[in-house]
Amino acid sequence: MTAPGQMTTPGAPAVPGLPTVPGVGRPARLTPRWGLSAHARRLLTFGLAGLAIAIITRRAEFAGAAAPALLLLAAWRRRRPGHIIATVRASSGRIFESEHLTVTVTVSGQGSYGVELVPHPHESIEVDPGPLPAEPMPDGTARAKLRLTVSRWGRRPAGMCEIILRDQWRLDEGRVMLALPRVDCYPRPATQQTRVLLNRLPNRLGEHPARTTGEGLEFGGVREYVPGDRQRRINWPATTRRGGRLQVNTFAAERSQDVLLLVDASSDAGEPGSSSIDLALRGAVAAARAYLRSSDRVGFITYQWGVRWLTPGHGGRHFLKIAEAMLAGPPSRSRETRLDRLPRSAFPPGALVLVFSPLLDQRFVETLRDLREKGHLLLVIDVLNGEPAIGRSSIGRISRRYWRMEQEAIRFSLNELGIGVVHWDGRQTLDLPLAPYTRRPLASRPRARI
Amino acid sequence: MASLSQGSASQSSASQSSASQSKTSQASRGRASRGRQLAAAGLLGAACCAWAAYPLAGPLRTVLLVLAALFVLADMVRLVTSGLPLDQVDVFSSLGLRVAQSAHTVIDEVPSAEAAAVAVLILEATHSSRAWHTAVLGAALLCYLLATHLAESGAAVRALRPQLPVLAAGLGLLILGAAAALVPAAAPGLGSGLLRVLAAVAAITVAALALPL
Repeated sequence: MTAPGQMTTPGAPAVPGLPTVPGVGRPARLTPRWGLSAHARRLLTFGLAGLAIAIITRRAEFAGAAAPALLLLAAWRRRRPGHIIATVRASSGRIFESEHLTVTVTVSGQGSYGVELVPHPHESIEVDPGPLPAEPMPDGTARAKLRLTVSRWGRRPAGMCEIILRDQWRLDEGRVMLALPRVDCYPRPATQQTRVLLNRLPNRLGEHPARTTGEGLEFGGVREYVPGDRQRRINWPATTRRGGRLQVNTFAAERSQDVLLLVDASSDAGEPGSSSIDLALRGAVAAARAYLRSSDRVGFITYQWGVRWLTPGHGGRHFLKIAEAMLAGPPSRSRETRLDRLPRSAFPPGALVLVFSPLLDQRFVETLRDLREKGHLLLVIDVLNGEPAIGRSSIGRISRRYWRMEQEAIRFSLNELGIGVVHWDGRQTLDLPLAPYTRRPLASRPRARI
Repeated sequence: MASLSQGSASQSSASQSSASQSKTSQASRGRASRGRQLAAAGLLGAACCAWAAYPLAGPLRTVLLVLAALFVLADMVRLVTSGLPLDQVDVFSSLGLRVAQSAHTVIDEVPSAEAAAVAVLILEATHSSRAWHTAVLGAALLCYLLATHLAESGAAVRALRPQLPVLAAGLGLLILGAAAALVPAAAPGLGSGLLRVLAAVAAITVAALALPL
């Protein structure tokens, strides 16, 4: 899988010829390139033109007209700083889509010169505000805060920032480019509150009530007292009804389950920002968060021309690992390319496999069939929300119809195999398409109908 | 804890609303100030053109006036469109947007304010000698360039305060130059006129060097 930030040329439209120094984190010593400002150039042109016309036309009044502009330039004292020290600090290096990131640029050593920042952000990053003057601080430094909004997930540099130094009369200008920090932007999680549960859960402590009795909180039934039972569990009304024989309450055991999030990145269809990979990753992030909150173990597998996996784990740290895995580059071709050859730790049997895919890659569909026939419980979230752009001619209409029938056939065949397929448009919550599967626990190994 | 958080939430929402109101009023004030600066620059440019063209006679002056007016207009367009996000226009944008972006690029690269000033000076030079008229034009052109600079940089008028003594001295030199132009030439001919100009330039230079700046 390739992050959007990696698909395009990273970096920003740096002004050619200007010195560029990365200044992220620690102070960077920058040497500006100096020159006349546009205002000074205008005054100089006006003055020289007046003098030239005065000499050509032999009229002294033009020399007088040029005098104020030339005097302004002559009286100007330049005290250019040889270099400045710039420091860039970001409020965070990790954000989710549409979140804000504050980047503080501190410039020192500028002397009496004013500092203005002109950000040149990466194409999927917006900066608010645009050019802004840096505020002079009591310690002699100048500081400005840029508010970055990242519109699409990916790992990319935020761009460049041009520092412009101007003297008090705004006749002298020094310019230097500064690199803004790299931003890791994770996919924005969709909304998911409910969870799909299996009816057979592994014997591991968790939060889901299982069929077996145990030490959970959910009432399971009553049974006759045996020595060793705790007295506080005696159900006195049931004991009275059953002729004085002591009855105790039993409770459902609480177990956790293994959930595998399988993201199909082999094909990407749709508009950038709401393409199938965007939706798949947003759905996967939402599912990871929902299942990790209920103490389940969540694994993450990316299917492209190779397979990249993250073994199931739990906890907040594992959520960050999953998010990091989403931003990782495409797997190398030498890695494992078949899902059924993954190690048992990466693909534990009896796990719930949530597949986020547009179902456009026939190899992937075949892989799903293989997995199902081997007894894995799969639930496909279809993230395809577009159609190929075919013309309105009769051949185009027939082609589109054929394409739709083919897609319907793929989904029908998966359903026939016992693989649930639900469609998600990326706008509604994930709870809605998953509602038929969250009402009751799913049979972990249903029999295939073929 | 819940009530505390609710209280802080209400306080923060109130402070946020007041902050947004003050930000809105600041933005409206900024827009009004920028509008005034743009209007001042435009009016000064138009006044310079009209002042230099008067009296309008002959095709050469008409052509020069049109050129000067076009450059002033281009400079105004450049100033007005400098804040618009035309950089985001790409090949998939509409034809109108792409044309606007190309025009903006051309206008941005042409030094229109300088060209307007030079055109106005040439237009003035087509008239016969009128020293005080030219002096007033010189002062107006300087004001036009300063107004353009303020509109371009967004700085307030008070940013020119440190330059006020120099500007006042410059106006003095301008008057000196105009007065020098009124001194009659010693004799007719090319050399005499040139000498007169050089004498005026020398006088202006000496006066500038004598200034305590």
